[in-house]
Amino acid sequence: MTMFIDAIQALILLMAAPLVVGVIKKAKARLQNRRGPVLRQLYYDILKLLAKDSVESPTVSWIFRITPYIYFTAALAAAAFLPIWLYGGGFANDLLVFIYLLAAGRFFLVLSSLDAGSAFGGMGGSREMFISVLVEPVLLLAMLTVAVRSGSTNLFAMAGTAMQETFSLSYFFAAGAFFIVMLAESGRIPVDNPDTHLELTMIHEGMVLEYSGRPLGLIFWAAALKQLILILLFVLLFVPWPSFGAGSLLLQGISIVVKVVLVAVSLAVAETVTNKMRLFKVPNFMALSGLLSLLALAAQ
Amino acid sequence: MEQEKIWAGDLQAAAAKAYDNGRNSLVAMFANDERQIDGHFAIYCIFSLAQTPYFKILKAQLHESEPLEFPSVVPVTSAAAWYEREIHDLFGLKPIGHPDLRPLVLHENWPHDHHPLCKDFDIHTPVPTVSEEYKMEYVHGEGVFEVPVGPIHAGIIEPGHFRFSQAGENTIHLDAKLFFTHRGIEKAVEGLTIDKAFYQAERICGACTASHALSYSQAVESIAGAVISNRARYLRVIVAELERLHNHVGDIGNLCAGLGFAVGVSNGARLKEELMRLNELVTGNRFLRGLIVPGGAALDITTEIAHEISRMLRAIETDFIEVLDLLRENDAFLDRVNTTGILPRQAALDLSVVGVAARASGISKDMRRDVPYAAYQNMNFKVPVYTSGDVAARLWVRADETIQSIRILRQALAGLPSGTLRVEIPAIKPYSSGFGWSESPRGGNVHWLMIGEGNTIYRYFVRSASYANWPAVAVADPGNIIPDFPLINKSFELCYACIDR
Repeated sequence: MTMFIDAIQALILLMAAPLVVGVIKKAKARLQNRRGPVLRQLYYDILKLLAKDSVESPTVSWIFRITPYIYFTAALAAAAFLPIWLYGGGFANDLLVFIYLLAAGRFFLVLSSLDAGSAFGGMGGSREMFISVLVEPVLLLAMLTVAVRSGSTNLFAMAGTAMQETFSLSYFFAAGAFFIVMLAESGRIPVDNPDTHLELTMIHEGMVLEYSGRPLGLIFWAAALKQLILILLFVLLFVPWPSFGAGSLLLQGISIVVKVVLVAVSLAVAETVTNKMRLFKVPNFMALSGLLSLLALAAQ
Repeated sequence: MEQEKIWAGDLQAAAAKAYDNGRNSLVAMFANDERQIDGHFAIYCIFSLAQTPYFKILKAQLHESEPLEFPSVVPVTSAAAWYEREIHDLFGLKPIGHPDLRPLVLHENWPHDHHPLCKDFDIHTPVPTVSEEYKMEYVHGEGVFEVPVGPIHAGIIEPGHFRFSQAGENTIHLDAKLFFTHRGIEKAVEGLTIDKAFYQAERICGACTASHALSYSQAVESIAGAVISNRARYLRVIVAELERLHNHVGDIGNLCAGLGFAVGVSNGARLKEELMRLNELVTGNRFLRGLIVPGGAALDITTEIAHEISRMLRAIETDFIEVLDLLRENDAFLDRVNTTGILPRQAALDLSVVGVAARASGISKDMRRDVPYAAYQNMNFKVPVYTSGDVAARLWVRADETIQSIRILRQALAGLPSGTLRVEIPAIKPYSSGFGWSESPRGGNVHWLMIGEGNTIYRYFVRSASYANWPAVAVADPGNIIPDFPLINKSFELCYACIDR
């Protein structure tokens, strides 16, 4: 039964993920006085790409071929573990398993970026590793703030604790730290620029530059899902109010949807009011997030 | 114009004297096949002098029976490097002592013995394709790797191949291979009448189209001795400044795209669009084509249109200053542009860099002020100069110039005299030559013409601002990290069409 619910949840999130990207793009466009693409644009793009053949460089190995599936599967699995309905959860819902599922997807994406031997792939891959080295500890630290409170690294326990807490300074700091990590992890300004066509500045886009057709469609879809997962995690752990618990699934669902849209819009605002920072300034930015996490821990 | 005739073998010594250890600078250098006239090839060097007369021309002659070579001017000034490579490609005259004689204009797929600008090269000659290797410069060493970029880019960008030698993210050396879409306009216009060739000159580039039309027209008028009316002069100033406005505003917006600052990008695009609609209102063309013609102006600016320009300028000035404040007060933005992509003053002098790039590196140089043309002698304006030479300096020069442009436009609109629009270009004595210049949004833009029989073009040479400034990009970039290259490149905002003429 649990597995069934997990699978349904993962599928719902998978279907909803491109819409969240649409919301962010639309909000960004509005903030910049543009009309922007329709909300469902990414669905069209993914459908188009999935129906297309893929072109591969003759130099690539099997890693290049399996990576889109691994990246996609890892994101899907992580989506299944999110403690949305608060019904319990087992070993697999552990925070560390969750984080390393995402890391495994990233690991393969970096490997495949080096596979074709293109300069942009290599640059994107090395930058991605550079940033993830900074992001992962900070991400853990931010989430540990909540884990310490609940005395468990089980996501369900953490979400449950978060929900019963009243507003505290500690959460406020941790939320700030997580928001910064979320910007970095989803490849957004000021760390990466998802809209750029400038090959030399790319990070995520640089890594997937060699992909086309169906594998590219899968990567787009998985990236959208990963972003939704991060937003949901932020919502569940740091903005749990108002909470309706397992008692009212409908109200809980509505509340989460509203909060996800709000976070998506705030991502768009964050991306509009600032510009991309110099690559080597990213560590300072991550240090800021780390500092906020430490403050959060200290403020317990 | 003072023109000193010398033998090609003495070119280096004469150039050294004219260059005067960097007190003067090389404006342009090009060859001409004058064998039909007097049995010689000629190599022209135009120098700009620190005092009047502003120009000095060296004409080095090489008899067709002599070996087709001349002493390179590159040891005197690095600014000659591209010009001589181009002469080598297009005329087969070999600069002796040039440190880098790789092909420039005609790439490695063009045979060595075909020199298209020689008069005995028929424009319809089928040219075989050869395959040779083009050696890009690179740096050896442990941990040093090369990053090739282009000529096909991920965005809608003109073709250019850039080869970065990298140590991690840091650029050690940059070599650029350009001229992928060289159109041979200089050859194509030979034999056309002045009026017909004008249309090709005006269309060399979309961004600086008015400046090209202006330089060409002034070259024709200077050779013909035609005096155009005051009204036409003022109209030309108005069009030239409208061109500067939409370029500078658009370039500032584009620069924001180089660092992912979306608000700057959309504001720049919006203001540029308003300006281009104004252009269409004034000349019937968004790129300001069709007003400036040899002999004066083809269109008039009526009082109603003048009012509309003034009204638009007020609105745009307010908006533009607001956008600038947005940039000036944004620390994240300033952090990216300050100290990025520094072009040292000495390098700018050595390469005879022009325009915005020169003024951002502490060189006060503006043809509108130094050698006034059209009605600029009647205009009161400042030439902004910054000394830091970085992306920020080039940005603020553009910003200040935009304000000055609006000032000039107001003066020109207020003082617009009455008079005829256009005078006839009289029959010109064959084989007389001369040149015209204008300050395009990117810098000085020089067109040299030699007229043949029946007011046709015998030889046409274009030295655009982009041609003079491209080598400077390769100097400004090393020492920066590779993700900053797009930003540095955008701060120069050089044009490919202007060099692929």
